[in-house]
Amino acid sequence: MQILKVENLRKSFDGEVILDDVSLEINKGEVIAVIGPSGSGKSTLLRCLTLLERIEHGKIKVEADTMVDTVNGKPCYAPEETLRKIRLKLGMVFQNFNLFPHFSVIENITEAPLRVGGIPYDTAKANAMELLEKVGLTDKAESYPYQLSGGQSQRVAIARAMAMNPDVLFFDEPTSALDPELTGEVLKVIRALAAEHMTMMVVTHEMAFARDVADRVIFMDNGRVIESGAAESIFVNPTNERTKTFLQRYSDEN
Amino acid sequence: MEWTSLVRLVNLLCGGALTSIQIFLYTLIISLPLGLAVALGRMSKKPWVRGPFKFYILVMRGTPLLLQIIFVYFAPSFMLPEGIRLNLDRFVAAIIAFSLNYAAYFAEIYRGGIESIPQGQYEAAAVLGFTKSQTFTRIILPQVIKRILPPISNEVITLVKDTALVQVLGISELFRVAKNESSRIFSTTPIFIAGLFYLMMNWVVTKVFHYTEIKLNYYK
Repeated sequence: MQILKVENLRKSFDGEVILDDVSLEINKGEVIAVIGPSGSGKSTLLRCLTLLERIEHGKIKVEADTMVDTVNGKPCYAPEETLRKIRLKLGMVFQNFNLFPHFSVIENITEAPLRVGGIPYDTAKANAMELLEKVGLTDKAESYPYQLSGGQSQRVAIARAMAMNPDVLFFDEPTSALDPELTGEVLKVIRALAAEHMTMMVVTHEMAFARDVADRVIFMDNGRVIESGAAESIFVNPTNERTKTFLQRYSDEN
Repeated sequence: MEWTSLVRLVNLLCGGALTSIQIFLYTLIISLPLGLAVALGRMSKKPWVRGPFKFYILVMRGTPLLLQIIFVYFAPSFMLPEGIRLNLDRFVAAIIAFSLNYAAYFAEIYRGGIESIPQGQYEAAAVLGFTKSQTFTRIILPQVIKRILPPISNEVITLVKDTALVQVLGISELFRVAKNESSRIFSTTPIFIAGLFYLMMNWVVTKVFHYTEIKLNYYK
């Protein structure tokens, strides 16, 4: 079942085209890895899909709701009410965690369910504790973000996003800000979510992880989707020359 | 100085200090929220909203507070058309002038604080579904308050001393009372004792801010 569909998306900043004619879809239960060189538009794509950036052209549909469509050459976003509904279906984990420093770990996780979801406190708290158990941080419930390591912060950020029960969870380079020895604990959590068939789209530079965990890999370069397909086939038999060069460079480095 | 006259003097100064404290408190109660509103207006993306607030801040910070006090007190009685001319109570005029002036300073402090909060905080709140006002009141403002406490305390301490300016309207605040006593008894002692009063009031202000900072030290 298709959860999200993107058609001919275009986005530029100050006249410079960042995303050009990007089309893709995300199916339920699928894990998609988005790879590609820096500046290829991967993060911008995620930001457009999560409504952090507005697109210039194209269409984005989330389940039955159209987030944005192009009418007479102009992007036309759905009314705020629909966008709110759509936002609740999308979760995002940032490179820099963006935890709320003035809230404890448990408050970081319960704040949105309480204020946005209108869930009773006891339920929100019980859910949060369950999520903390999943990410292995029950003992940090009362800690504050400044007391956490990068890996722990990112795991809390994942729990916080999961607390809103999103249909799709986006990860924007979730391990790029972490020391190498801390990336493992975050990837482990994402792997566990994949095992539960959580629908996820992960922008990553961790090729081994992309290869192991992703069902599908999207290779982007210069704002375009160059190649997309089953993880195994992209890594073993890339058809496009640019994909080959990119993957070659990575395997050379490791 | 005799013991009894000293007691009399301190009593007198306490009365003046009470007036000063009233002006101080009313000004804070009005200017702290007003400053936040001005900061938000000053930060508006629309130039026709931002412009007037910028001008307001320029005028309030760019002209003497003493002059503003005089203006607020006298302007209504000569600028308004005859018939609806009103005479403001001096005390009310003083508080209006102080509030308008301090709101401008507080606004710039708020703005600095709000702009120092990383964009990522807004983005995290947005993807979690918080509305703009929830994001501001629950996520941004609490962090802003912690960051702006030191510059706010500077202004509040200045305000304690600035209350002396209202004597220009003939209000018997601490400094005016002390000055009058000084000329009456041909001695500078009352003025120096008034100085101790100001110091004590600011010692309390400093303590309050110090305590608040400690209270907010639970996170970084």
